Amino acid sequence: MASSRTTPARRRVLRPDLAELGPLTQWAGEFAEQAGLPQSLSFALQLCLEEAAANIIMYSGAAETGQEIAIELMEAAPDVLAIIEDGGRPFDPTSVPPPPEPASIAQAPIGQLGVHFMRSFASEMRYEQRDGRNRLTLRFNPADVAAKASE
Amino acid sequence: MDIVVEEVATGATKVMLRGRFDTTAAVLFELPFNTVASEKKAIVVDISAVEFLASYAVRVLLLGAKVVAGKGGKLAILCPHDNNVAKVLRTAGVGKVIPIVEREDAALAAVAG
Repeated sequence: MASSRTTPARRRVLRPDLAELGPLTQWAGEFAEQAGLPQSLSFALQLCLEEAAANIIMYSGAAETGQEIAIELMEAAPDVLAIIEDGGRPFDPTSVPPPPEPASIAQAPIGQLGVHFMRSFASEMRYEQRDGRNRLTLRFNPADVAAKASE
Repeated sequence: MDIVVEEVATGATKVMLRGRFDTTAAVLFELPFNTVASEKKAIVVDISAVEFLASYAVRVLLLGAKVVAGKGGKLAILCPHDNNVAKVLRTAGVGKVIPIVEREDAALAAVAG
């Protein structure tokens, strides 16, 4: 039952290296399993963390400066929160418009999908800058995520 | 992620993927897949046994499909319609530009001549 969940907040610090993504999603999957979260939520959590961290590693300049990425997972029953912090260039994913609908394979845009996935698979995405760091909070509501998964 | 490339009797090339098609796997897959896309005109990418699909993986599939289409070829994706991976493909709008089918015979028909 949601009210009996006692999984404590978990924190993980990543080097800005794509090799960190596999262990990151595995860790998120284990968190979801231990918390007894539904499979659709586990998948959404893993996908959104992968996309958020990959964006930071590939595009924020964090890899060049060796800036670490901090990720925290916590339960706020019945929801799950994922907080991603990095010291790369300021980047507000909530300001990124959805990609245009492709009309043909020749015209299909390449890229912009990572943020679109986060927006589509998480229940809420909130961005703030704090002490010169990017802080992205993703909220996952089990009922909302399950409804989206069956769309 | 495991990758197997197989020529089938119909003349098509089947690229079978198994495991997690995550960012790291997609980066490694990009170059060999581009080679297949450049050389072949009828390609079925079987992701039925893929359990995770990241945006970079979708990017690699779209880029390969563009290469194939650019020379008059066809690419189809073989994937069940009711799992998490299918949901990722739908979210990306992939089905609007690449056929996504659930059965192998339909996939081979989609890329035939």
